Amino acid sequence: MAGPSSQTAIPATAPSLGPERSVAWPRRTVRTLANGMQVVLAEQHTFPKIGVELFFRSGNALVSRTSPDVAELTARLIRTGTNSRTSRHIEEDLRRMGANLGTVAGADSSAIAISGLSEFAEKLLAMVDDLARNAAFPADEFERERRQRVEELRIERATPGFLANERFRLVLFGNHPYAIIAPTEAQVEAYQRDALAAFYRENYVPSNALFIAAGDFSSERMMGLVEKTFGAWKAGPAPSLKEAELPRPRGRAVHLVHLPGSVQTEITLGNLAITRQSPDWRRAVLANAIYGGAFNSRLVANIREQKGYTYSPRSSLHALRHHGYFGVHAAVRNDVVAATLTEMFYELDRMRSLPVSDGELNDAINYLSGVFSLGIATQDGLLGQLSTVYLDRLPEDYLETFREKIRALQAGDVLEAARRYFDSANAQIVIVGDRAQIEPQAVLFGDVKVWDTQGNALAG
Amino acid sequence: MSKLQIPVESETLANGLRVVVSPDHSAPIATVGVYYQIGFRLEPRGRSGFAHLFEHMMFQGSEHAGKMEHIRLINSSGGVLNGTTNYDITNYFEVVPSNALERVLWLEADRMRALKVDDENLRNQRDVVKEEVRVNVLNQPYGGFPWLDLPPVAFRNWPNAHNFYGDFADLDAATLEDVRTFFHTYYAPNNAVLLMVGDVEPKESFELARKYFESIPPHPAVPSADTTELPQIEERRGEVEEKFGQLPALAIGYNMPPRHHRDWYASAMLDRVLHGGRAGRVYRSLVLEKQIALGAEGGMGFPDAFEYNGPTLGTTTIYHKPEYTPEATVAAFDEVIAEVRERAIDADELEQVKVMCRADYFSMLESGGGGVPRFGLMHALACFTLFDNDPQRVNTVLDNFLSVTPVEIQATARKYLAPANRSIVFRRPSVHAAHGDPSVSVRQGAK
Repeated sequence: MAGPSSQTAIPATAPSLGPERSVAWPRRTVRTLANGMQVVLAEQHTFPKIGVELFFRSGNALVSRTSPDVAELTARLIRTGTNSRTSRHIEEDLRRMGANLGTVAGADSSAIAISGLSEFAEKLLAMVDDLARNAAFPADEFERERRQRVEELRIERATPGFLANERFRLVLFGNHPYAIIAPTEAQVEAYQRDALAAFYRENYVPSNALFIAAGDFSSERMMGLVEKTFGAWKAGPAPSLKEAELPRPRGRAVHLVHLPGSVQTEITLGNLAITRQSPDWRRAVLANAIYGGAFNSRLVANIREQKGYTYSPRSSLHALRHHGYFGVHAAVRNDVVAATLTEMFYELDRMRSLPVSDGELNDAINYLSGVFSLGIATQDGLLGQLSTVYLDRLPEDYLETFREKIRALQAGDVLEAARRYFDSANAQIVIVGDRAQIEPQAVLFGDVKVWDTQGNALAG
Repeated sequence: MSKLQIPVESETLANGLRVVVSPDHSAPIATVGVYYQIGFRLEPRGRSGFAHLFEHMMFQGSEHAGKMEHIRLINSSGGVLNGTTNYDITNYFEVVPSNALERVLWLEADRMRALKVDDENLRNQRDVVKEEVRVNVLNQPYGGFPWLDLPPVAFRNWPNAHNFYGDFADLDAATLEDVRTFFHTYYAPNNAVLLMVGDVEPKESFELARKYFESIPPHPAVPSADTTELPQIEERRGEVEEKFGQLPALAIGYNMPPRHHRDWYASAMLDRVLHGGRAGRVYRSLVLEKQIALGAEGGMGFPDAFEYNGPTLGTTTIYHKPEYTPEATVAAFDEVIAEVRERAIDADELEQVKVMCRADYFSMLESGGGGVPRFGLMHALACFTLFDNDPQRVNTVLDNFLSVTPVEIQATARKYLAPANRSIVFRRPSVHAAHGDPSVSVRQGAK
């Protein structure tokens, strides 16, 4: 489609980059209150908004072996009523402050996250306090949320991405609490609201809490407000996670989740890896960026841009608090499952066998160094980075030194990280799709176990 | 009322390219976009899905930057890039450390000037797009609901009513000649706006825009199509099979007032009364109180309405319990509608809605999409430039919403929220989804 060359008035090669501007992460005010609550404040005055996140370091993993999802259900229930506000009051009060509220639980923490107009800062904090301390768990709201969750689980267990993730975690983590990401419908049906209230009482306590605020406020005034609001809160210590031994699979295995009528196959493969506390974390991040963690990566170039097998290939390092894992993901058309797995492993083995070129190395270093800082420009981005640092108890200068530490890495670091954390020979493979169309391809990669969407083993 | 003044400067180059710059030096990051005034509606008949397929082709190489080079040059500058296809616009955008601004402009100018792609690229991206349709629509519970399901039911004019993601036969029929023609027809500087937002200096930005873009020749006349719909005189209904999910769902879409008509502002506030999160009347009534529905949400209110420049629907999407019939669910929804038609909302409720609008407007400007800094600001500036020729509207539009009165909201409800002005599409779970029969055929949208 080239236009006539005579019209080309621009240089034939891309302009070089201008001088880099330094990235100044906002100064943090950090304090631990007498009751143990950790407080982190960062000012950002671009828009008249503030974002507040109150985390409790207890999540679904804490209960997954006994009553999975009770952390999540607890989080959902707290916005449905407190001792002084009904559900309707809460929702209308939020609207009066221009506020959006999220109450959710992840594997390792539960969070009350609120963002609203900064002119309502004091009321926003009072709302967070009310939700954190005075949740009433109304019986009718509990029944409503219970039904809601059951129907949601039915949809999730018809969703290929969810099914792949659920099986992958079970395979990687075995008897460990991290194995279970969602309850069965029967478990949800059997829950009593007392279990939620108990989780709330034991875990929503100040010694277990991390309070982060970013946005348009004065830190001094905000710290005063935080102390006034939460300072007198007293409670006992929270329970901690009981870990279990992790599986150490030798050789590859395939887990096929049979989703009847599926017109595409969701592939996930990988292995246990590391957390952000590991000294190898940045090396592994760099290796991942080159393998499949960026648009400009080997996996995307191969199975998307060259072969057209998939729209959505990617690889990720997933960091939980106590363990991490590496995953390679793509949704592909049914007749290229074996071809895709072959290419995924080929690219893993190439990363493990041969050093990357200087050009590829520098491109990836520049990529990570740049995108790490994009978060600085928005309140959500800043909150995200701050919560990573303080929830994972990373060094105070983690944000400020990330770029220089990434820039110091070399091809040898990438090779070493790939050999340690891209465990091609022992990778566990999960494929979600229509069994009849994909099982003959799956058997080429290891012993195949077949499951239905509810987690029951099907005959081989 | 908004207490926020966004700096906006604009120029039009000799070739008709509009350039809009909005500096903000709070972070060393620049968000750059090129928006073309071409979307699903204007794609050629017999080529459904082509506007989107073409968007993929814009990443396949241009005269001086071959395949993968656009991606490599942006990623290796420390930035990210993407493109999206919408009803009336297609955008290409990059978020980069601000020292990469000139490189981004070079790339965007190169592909505006001279896209360079071949049959192999087209075959490749046709395959990629089919997997995109599978992963987002054909292989997902409620995929494409309601954005692909409702238009074929609600509209009669092909530009508004066809399958925007594309029938596979149409994607297969697309040729390199189609790509060439589409590029020459619509991807012209005089049919586009270039936006530079964030850590950029206006003077330097305009100079760079001239340097890289001004020599690209304009097209004499970019065609437009007639997208008007004949007046609707009765309710329209359609049905689509749901293959994976077990919950019945339905979507109700009302024809909305034209852009910037006074009713348009009132209808956006009305949308907020009905759909503003859990405090919105539809969610409160159907999900929290009557507990007929498990989910209820709105689409196309404030500020989403900015990006449409033709017939649009104000939509409510409801997932309901199987023990309630679709008819009973619609009846419960109609009770909510009757309330806003019969009684003006009170001052307290309207004040809540307005505070929320103000907050959401700021959030939209700050980010508003996929966590890309200032994406929403860029997007609003682009829409106000292409459709209204007035990027400064970003500083005044909020006041038009905040000045809406209860009387105007009620009048708008009476005028637009009438059965004869709406269409309903029912997404009905198929029996075999629950019993695991693999012999399921898929329909995309109701015809």
